[in-house]
Amino acid sequence: MQRHLILEDGTTFVGEGFGAPATTFGEIVFQTAMTGYQESITNPIYDGQMIVFAMPVVGADGIHAEAYESVKPTIRGMVVHDLAEISTNRQRRMSLDRFLKQNNIPGLCQVDTRQLIRHLRESGPQKATIVDYVDDHARDQLAATVLTKQQVQNTATPKAYANPGRGYHIVVIDFGLKHGILRMLGDYDSNVSVLPYTTSVEEVLTLDPDGIVLSSGPGDPNSLPESVFTLIRVLQTKAPMLGIGLGHELFAMANGATLNPLVAEYHGMNHPIQEIISQEIFYAMQGRGYVVDDQTVDRKKMFVTHRDLVDQSIQGLRHRDYPAFSVQFFPDGAPGPIEPNVIFADFFETVADYVEQYN
Amino acid sequence: MANKVVLDSASLQRALTRITYEILERNKGGQGLVLVGIKTRGEYLAHRIANRLEQLEKETIPVMAIDVTNYRDDVLAHGDHLGLDEKDSINIVDKNIVLVDDVLFTGRTIRAALDALIHIGRPKSISLAVLVDRGHRELPIRADFVGKNIPTAQNEKIQVSVEEIDGKDAVEIIH
Amino acid sequence: MSNSTTKSKLNKILFLGAGPNDFGIQGENDAAIYQVLPELHGHGYHVFVVDDNPYSVALESVAATTFWEPLTVTNIKKIIKDHQIDAVAPLFGGHRALRLWNQILNEWHTDDGQIPRTLGLNPAVLRESADITQLNQLLIDAGLPVIQSKIAKSQTEVNELMRSLSLPLVVRANNPVQSNTRQIVERLDDLEQVVDEVKSQSLLDEVLISKAINGMKEVSLEVLRDYRGNCLQVGASEDMDPIGIHTADSLSVSPVLTIQDRFMEQMRSYAFQVADLLQIQGALHLQFAVSEVTGKIYIIKIAPYIDQMATRMALVTGYPMLLVAMYLSLGQAFEDIVLPHNFHPKTAMMEPMMDHIAVKLPVFPFGDLHASGVEVDRNLSSIQKSVGSTIGFGRTFIEALEKAIRAAHFNNRGFSPTYMEHISDDELIQQLIHPQDNRVLLFIEAIRRGYEVDELTELSHIDAFYFYQLKHLIALEQMVEAKIDDPNMLKQAKQAGLSDGLIARFWHSDFQSIRRLARQNDIQPTYKALEPSAGEFPENAHQYYATFETEDESTPLGKDSILVVGSGAFRLGESASGGYATTIILSELRRLQYHTVAMNNNSSDATLLPHISDKQYLEPLEISDVMAVVDKEQPQAIMVPGNRKKLIKVLEELGQRVLILPREKHLANGPENHKSEFSLNFFYDGVEVYPLIVGQHRAGEMRLLNQALDIKEDLNDLNLPSPGLYQIIWRADVNEWINQVEIPDLSHDTWLRPVSYGQVAYLSKAMGIHFLRLIVRAMLDELTPRDWEMLQMISKNPPHVQQWMTKALTNYQLHLQPSGPIDTTRFEMGVKVVNDE
Repeated sequence: MQRHLILEDGTTFVGEGFGAPATTFGEIVFQTAMTGYQESITNPIYDGQMIVFAMPVVGADGIHAEAYESVKPTIRGMVVHDLAEISTNRQRRMSLDRFLKQNNIPGLCQVDTRQLIRHLRESGPQKATIVDYVDDHARDQLAATVLTKQQVQNTATPKAYANPGRGYHIVVIDFGLKHGILRMLGDYDSNVSVLPYTTSVEEVLTLDPDGIVLSSGPGDPNSLPESVFTLIRVLQTKAPMLGIGLGHELFAMANGATLNPLVAEYHGMNHPIQEIISQEIFYAMQGRGYVVDDQTVDRKKMFVTHRDLVDQSIQGLRHRDYPAFSVQFFPDGAPGPIEPNVIFADFFETVADYVEQYN
Repeated sequence: MANKVVLDSASLQRALTRITYEILERNKGGQGLVLVGIKTRGEYLAHRIANRLEQLEKETIPVMAIDVTNYRDDVLAHGDHLGLDEKDSINIVDKNIVLVDDVLFTGRTIRAALDALIHIGRPKSISLAVLVDRGHRELPIRADFVGKNIPTAQNEKIQVSVEEIDGKDAVEIIH
Repeated sequence: MSNSTTKSKLNKILFLGAGPNDFGIQGENDAAIYQVLPELHGHGYHVFVVDDNPYSVALESVAATTFWEPLTVTNIKKIIKDHQIDAVAPLFGGHRALRLWNQILNEWHTDDGQIPRTLGLNPAVLRESADITQLNQLLIDAGLPVIQSKIAKSQTEVNELMRSLSLPLVVRANNPVQSNTRQIVERLDDLEQVVDEVKSQSLLDEVLISKAINGMKEVSLEVLRDYRGNCLQVGASEDMDPIGIHTADSLSVSPVLTIQDRFMEQMRSYAFQVADLLQIQGALHLQFAVSEVTGKIYIIKIAPYIDQMATRMALVTGYPMLLVAMYLSLGQAFEDIVLPHNFHPKTAMMEPMMDHIAVKLPVFPFGDLHASGVEVDRNLSSIQKSVGSTIGFGRTFIEALEKAIRAAHFNNRGFSPTYMEHISDDELIQQLIHPQDNRVLLFIEAIRRGYEVDELTELSHIDAFYFYQLKHLIALEQMVEAKIDDPNMLKQAKQAGLSDGLIARFWHSDFQSIRRLARQNDIQPTYKALEPSAGEFPENAHQYYATFETEDESTPLGKDSILVVGSGAFRLGESASGGYATTIILSELRRLQYHTVAMNNNSSDATLLPHISDKQYLEPLEISDVMAVVDKEQPQAIMVPGNRKKLIKVLEELGQRVLILPREKHLANGPENHKSEFSLNFFYDGVEVYPLIVGQHRAGEMRLLNQALDIKEDLNDLNLPSPGLYQIIWRADVNEWINQVEIPDLSHDTWLRPVSYGQVAYLSKAMGIHFLRLIVRAMLDELTPRDWEMLQMISKNPPHVQQWMTKALTNYQLHLQPSGPIDTTRFEMGVKVVNDE
């Protein structure tokens, strides 16, 4: 049935509803990647957001058991141009439409998504709603909606759990972890403990980690409690540390930097990222609404290790005194290039060195 | 039988990158650093590390080379046999020296280099960075920065190739 | 950190052309060279081009010194020596140029002087990659997934190999004479014959045998690499058909729709590894076989040079791939590349993203040959049978597919809903199992007859997605048929890419009424910019395609523009000469400072190149598409090839100013073997006729006679429709080449026709006169006194032409297995120059 998208600035788009027939509210962002819609919509970083896909045909590959980035998707909606129908089989267990219905997520298709994206790239982030009718009620509802700042709480694990292996013991501080990170840690057969971000320093140290990962996650990094920064400041002196996405932003903040919100969030995999030390360029999936403010990085404390060559944004940081480093992009891919997987190789080499030196 | 590649070009580059970060970490920055490469391949590796340091710190790190190919335990007299001369002494006095070599094996090469360095001047500290540590030490020498630990049999040979002279970057085990 | 071989000063660069058109060589290399020449010239390089193909546009570029000569080792060595060439760019000329350059390097002697640098690939790697077995070994050593193959020199050796291999098998020529000789053997009975056949195409008399991987999906990736080892993926496409049908003969789609991200990323990673292994500075096209069921991926073809995939990806992504490839081959890094001002400053290093779908559809020669009484083997296999292709752009697969189909056929004749109604059930099954050219129509008919998607998937190994899409199309067409004159239905039909003409057939109406209904209900195409950032950045776009949505991004150029309608796909006959004609015309219009709009759908010809027109529409060329662009742009004139009679008529009826570029609707037979066909060629400026030169055409070759003309008949009595080059033809029993011919009474036993584009190209190059440019000037009243003076002089003192045009050898037997001889005077694939020696 015909449904509508209303933006906070009053712009409306008409389309055909799919997925769940519910009314939905969320912050609307666009992404330009041409593959990996399943990985994207299940990535917890989109908690509370609606995604507009630039890729005009979405769904042609169905939903696969091995392409989940979280068990339960928490995006608020999906706007696409053309939704593909598929048959399900052993590889494709489910169609995208059915998947969204099961998870109570509304979708809107047959939208001029190129026009919408061109609009969003200028207008900046805003609230949006998918509704059956455009009327004053719908507009009022949208205006009255206060979007949650509790995304990390919504997606991060409340209880510690293990993903056992026989290798190094890696503690993951969960801010809204995506599976790709666990998959990569699994590739090194590491013994993983995933801990809530509210875990105390003592509890973490009791586990005697060989390495620490600050996971990616959704939302505004400023909304997290001070205890998180204390935790990072202590842990970075105790064992090698890798921050990813939100984990990178928190690592920067723990070491004195501040963050700036972006005019338009960037979600895509087409920007070149340069590793400054080697001048090498690679591409990686990015999903960011904030960027570390260059001016506030204390050069006596940290190196800038990576930059996005399109907007010059900081994409990687490293502590001068400790084996602690972080990247803004997704080194695990899923979706996205697997070239930056080597970040994990670097991390494990560092862990090996650390274990060698101190144990 | 074919050689077994243990480090390909990309991993070799990344190993050097990691060593660079660790040097900066340990040295608290680039101040007072001097890299001394042990000829032949250690010299090229020292230059690569220096280039990396420069990209990060935006300052030039001096690189020197030392040649121990003619070294014998019984004839160590003057530094200049090792490719160093008196003027080099200024460069090392009170500096933090990082010796760079491709493979750490018995430790005898390193010892000769240490002797030569100390002979011409008095550095503040000397540390050791190697691309590969293959074990079988005959002297109490330990590397501070290791690209990769590669346990080997005594009769195996490790071959390090660098782009500058070998046309490729690789570490291989030759059987 | 690798071979930065190009840092020292180089000034003189020689491009090696691709030679005559053939199966798989449609002019893309020539278009690629043509595009980069002005860029290099602008940067102060002295550029040279050598090619033997008369249809080459690069040879007529003002930005280069050009040589129209046979592509031989001797000729090229001589050019290098005479002009002190610093560097040779073989990669732009494709696999033929690469092979030729490898041969030249192998035969280089000390007295040939300093060896010029090879741009883009180092000579040692070039040698390695020229040898399939060596290349395969290189990949195997690097741990990359290739299908291991074994060499056999004789049937006995093949039989021995058979003990360790099972059917089906792939048999290829080792060091082949031409690019693709891959054949699949499914029955033991065929093995001997295939081995013999393939062996004869090997320079070493050897075949390579490996296991076949039929049924897997076939995916192509195009990547770029700079000298420092940084890589970028330009694009990828998936074939609808599985492995087993030549990729050129399959419908293919960009971006890839039905393959998971993790497989795409794995292939990308392999492609980067191969680029690194070969130390490429420029472009690499890799073909993969992939199965999502088994998780297996194989690299099945490596093309470290510019080919159709490269030019197609450049067109469908809007990424300036060829300019970037050129800068990379000169030793620049991605970050250092400065593109022309109409691109975003970071475009060179951003991976292009698409927010549209591009469908490539092959064009087969079967119909044309059938009409001339020659039947060919229509079963598609691993040997290429298509001669050209078109691309349809849209925002859905169906829209892009419909537009590609219309682009391939100019009209909906071949895609009428009832086209396959009469095929028997047996035949239908046969064709489902043994695919032919009419693939899409056959599937549609099968779905109509009740085949389930899963059955079709099983029979064809084609992803179910495509059958669902076709089901939607059928449902839509049935709805259209039922709801005559319904504006909502019209809108849906237009969104699915159906043309006014096809809708008119459903509604037993005419396209004018459909147009009227559309206008009344404000159902107008919205043109979307085709740019590489998928909307992320404002780009100064010049390329557009039509769809039916809300926002229209195209603003008209202005009242003084001229629209040039391209010639679409290459076909048997004059192949690349259509693209040659529109390209030169656009170039001349630009020189005369007109604003130009180009329309076409063929990524292998130069017509759509961004630097020769102000704006490009990537559209089918059916009446409704052209009319929509005319409505949008309101050009002052429209230039149309003369064979588009119906389009011309419609445009004229609507009061448009149409400039007709003379062209025959049907190809004429050439002379039979024992005869000569003579032509009196003349130029008509719209007022007067200027005799030029006499040509002699014998089967397979054409020459020009060095004789002064004294025409008695008044050629001005001829009733010529528009300015152009025309010829009067007569035949004679002349069995040899002659220097003089007596011009007969032209009013008897002769006929008049426009000079074919192919011959125009030949006459222009041989006589050193840019005839197409003269035609354009004549049409626009821009001829200069010098032009007239020159035209008057030619017949009195014709140039002594020593370059002849001869047909290139095309292996019809291999590709088409025709039932009888193909009239190559009509259906030539490619031609080349030979010198009078």
